[in-house]
Amino acid sequence: MMQAYLDRKQEAANIGMMVTALMFGFAILGIAVAYMVAFWWMPLGDYVNIRLDDFNTYEYIVIIASLIYAAGCARTAIGLSSREKSSLRWSQWMYFITVMIGGAILLSVIIPVGLKFSLLLGQNIDLRAIINNDVGGLAPLALSIGESLISLSLLAAGLVALIALLVFLIPPLESLREMDGIRMIVAPPRRFVLAIIAVLAVGVIGVLIAGAYVVPLYPGTTTIRDAENHRLLAGLLFFLPGLFGYRLVRQVEEESDELRRAIALTPGKFIRAELAKSPSAGAIIGFIAIIMAFTMATDLFLEPSSVASFLSNIATKGVIAIGVTYLMISGEFDLSVGSILGVTALSFMNFMTHGAPIFGVMEPVPAALLAIFIAFILGAINGVLLISTRIPSFIVTLGTMLAFRAITLVAIAGGRILRYSDHHEALPVIGISNIVFLVLAVIGLLVVAFTAYRVLPVLYRGAMHAWSIQNDNGDFGTTGAIIRSVLLAVVLLILLALVIWLLAVLSYHGSAGGGEMVEVGYFDLFNGRVLSIGSEGDFVHVQIPRNANVRLAIIWWFSFVIVFHVILTSTSFGNSIFATGGNEGAARAQGVNVDRVKLQNFAIVAVLTGIAAIYETARNPGVDPNKGTGWELEVIAMTVIGGALLTGGYGSVVGSLLGALIFGMLQTGLVLVGIESRLFSGTIGVIIIVAVILNTFVRGARQN
Amino acid sequence: MQYEQKHRDALVDMIDIHKYFGSVQVLRGIDFHVDRQEIVGLLGDNGAGKSTLIKVLTGFHSLTRGQIYFDGEAVNIYSPHDARELGIETVHQDLALVPLMSIARNFWLGQEPTYEIGPFRFLDKKMMARESIQALADVGIHIRDSEETVGTMSGGERQSIAIGRAVYFGKKLLILDEPTSALSVGETQKVLDYTIAAKEKGMSVIFITHNIRHVYEVADRFTIIERGHKLGDFYKSEVTENEVADMIVTGQIPERLRLYEEDAVGD
Repeated sequence: MMQAYLDRKQEAANIGMMVTALMFGFAILGIAVAYMVAFWWMPLGDYVNIRLDDFNTYEYIVIIASLIYAAGCARTAIGLSSREKSSLRWSQWMYFITVMIGGAILLSVIIPVGLKFSLLLGQNIDLRAIINNDVGGLAPLALSIGESLISLSLLAAGLVALIALLVFLIPPLESLREMDGIRMIVAPPRRFVLAIIAVLAVGVIGVLIAGAYVVPLYPGTTTIRDAENHRLLAGLLFFLPGLFGYRLVRQVEEESDELRRAIALTPGKFIRAELAKSPSAGAIIGFIAIIMAFTMATDLFLEPSSVASFLSNIATKGVIAIGVTYLMISGEFDLSVGSILGVTALSFMNFMTHGAPIFGVMEPVPAALLAIFIAFILGAINGVLLISTRIPSFIVTLGTMLAFRAITLVAIAGGRILRYSDHHEALPVIGISNIVFLVLAVIGLLVVAFTAYRVLPVLYRGAMHAWSIQNDNGDFGTTGAIIRSVLLAVVLLILLALVIWLLAVLSYHGSAGGGEMVEVGYFDLFNGRVLSIGSEGDFVHVQIPRNANVRLAIIWWFSFVIVFHVILTSTSFGNSIFATGGNEGAARAQGVNVDRVKLQNFAIVAVLTGIAAIYETARNPGVDPNKGTGWELEVIAMTVIGGALLTGGYGSVVGSLLGALIFGMLQTGLVLVGIESRLFSGTIGVIIIVAVILNTFVRGARQN
Repeated sequence: MQYEQKHRDALVDMIDIHKYFGSVQVLRGIDFHVDRQEIVGLLGDNGAGKSTLIKVLTGFHSLTRGQIYFDGEAVNIYSPHDARELGIETVHQDLALVPLMSIARNFWLGQEPTYEIGPFRFLDKKMMARESIQALADVGIHIRDSEETVGTMSGGERQSIAIGRAVYFGKKLLILDEPTSALSVGETQKVLDYTIAAKEKGMSVIFITHNIRHVYEVADRFTIIERGHKLGDFYKSEVTENEVADMIVTGQIPERLRLYEEDAVGD
């Protein structure tokens, strides 16, 4: 039908006009949003400052994004009205993006409403007590418990309906089947599709009514910053017409001549296939959803201090999760990491306070190295036990978990805590020369230069190529070339900014004189507050808010993630890890030394756990015998959220990073929102199951 | 006991192979040989001993008595690794590829090409993609995208990739263990085509099956095993498809063929 419109057929004129007009409408809407944020009052959310003269990053992002969106819509609409060929694909994408934006805005209404409503329910009884005691200031509740329950179930039903609607949108209903060598399209009856859409739409409208009805009842939210109601309108404006237009342009394409290609190009299917390429698809979706939910629900979540605190809390576990991911990809399992952490932390502390057998009382760095070596041996024990007995790793590491725990329990009797300060008067200190910072800055410059050398020519060639074929490449050739040029410019600017920052560091430390020593605590070097390193809180010339608890382990963690990600994806060792977990027989048949891979992975987990133990001990120089208890399951939870398969052969280090971040955000965010921290484990449980379902769903495109 | 190689030019010559599992005699003196660039159909009913014979050749089982010559030399094959070193590639029904890995990564598994930056070696992904597509195209397998996971492919496509890989890495002997038993008719045909392509590239192929229809078209010779003994070797020109099928079922050589049989075996 849409193709017919582009071919100037008379019968398709109405639909074509409608699609074009809608597109123009969205362009105007995008400009209107940018205008309102920039020059007028537009409630974006709790986090955004409502004062006109006080822009923040969030607002700038919204303005730029909506302008880009408006430009895209306008270009598509112009293309449609002049009946350019490529405008079909563009309109599909623009409508798809519109639906996604609308859905996101609606979610940003529903999630905080849901959170606040559940809080309301929780407070229901308390509030009555408060009212009875006549403690002033709080509005009495208009709902009885029964009414609340009805509203809540309406809310839940609506939420489920909205999610179902989005899910329904993502995979194409039509599927390509191959029967007896003939490819055919199996589509459900249109009536069935319409019925589903109608039911889901009723659900969505239900939730919105419930939400609008409930939100103002929450004490303290009926203010001018009650942004949910305003977002509701914006969300509906984007979502419903967008969905309508998307169904129009998509339906049209199915009827076009290039049937097969058309279905392969459906945006929903494309996105699902793209997500399926990454093991951490579920984690990415969850990550975005959780950030959105908490950002919308509370001002405090994006405060530097909250971000820093959850990053600091999760960094050590994140380091262990990297190793556990490796192990899980190779098809094994380690329950003993918590105990290994305890033993390593104890050894580290013991070497510094009581001394090691041969070396005596040790300095922090050699003590740390020796402790990590002990962790390595413990990991090797796990590995050797596994490959020599062929007992499942679950059993082996369950045994070693208990056995290794006995070491700390025996060594520190009576539940005491081994403290550094009980044996030494001051924390250990080391002097670092300014030259170290200079060298680091030079290394940074070299890395930037190398990146530029590798990336810029590729982008430049791509852009030049796009310009050279702008007239051959359909009607949108010029637009594509402009997009590529802008991309090149953005990357160039980012690299330039990095260079300027590094040069500033160079000049700052260079002018301070080469010989100047900076006193740094040893423990701070392992995992100190970044503030406490360097003089006057001016670590490598970046201002960090004083109240932010940014710890060095975060930087270590991110570096480990990069290094181990590269090893996993770009070396033959990584390849053999995947093969070992994916199909041990095949790996063996191709000459992969499966046993060695497993042994190495157990050692990697143990060493990373040892490093994490050093961070933990450096942060709080005291070890109790139960240190690390329960960590093993938390770390496995992170890894599973991150998309690793328990059966092996699938997973990613970036996924473990996202899993750990989700874990940390929930831990901090739930407290900030005001939900009892006792609910945390329940929430994590739900998240794990949802994440695994999501992962399985997107993997459906990858594996039969 | 001294053995002498009977077939001078054969790629594989297995002489008087005995294999006992405790008191169970699975192989009772089998002579089996594969000539160069020859496709041999190894046939027999379930439990006849054809799998055991191949497992002896590929090092999964050690032989009780007998001698194996490979490429003209007496060899002792103690492990699958030894067999691999000799250039024997086995394509099992489900043990060939890792489903969750991409075609390129499966293709190069165990011998990945790398480039070096300082002391570090990184996978040469571009070359892996290019070479695997090219190598598979050489044996007639055209894939869409080397990054596609093997799990999304059909059984026949998987077998084909495993065969293409064996051809590319210059193996001398390809053993296909029941490659077509779970495939559709069309896919079976493809696998048979690739088997011929492998032969044209200079490999010898042992095609194990109990279904004569799958192999009759491509095989040059049939070796039929019956309860631990070899019933006989038959060149395709000598027998019809139905006769071979009958022999597998009944374990009897038809009257017409007995003369050939005595000539062929001779001892």
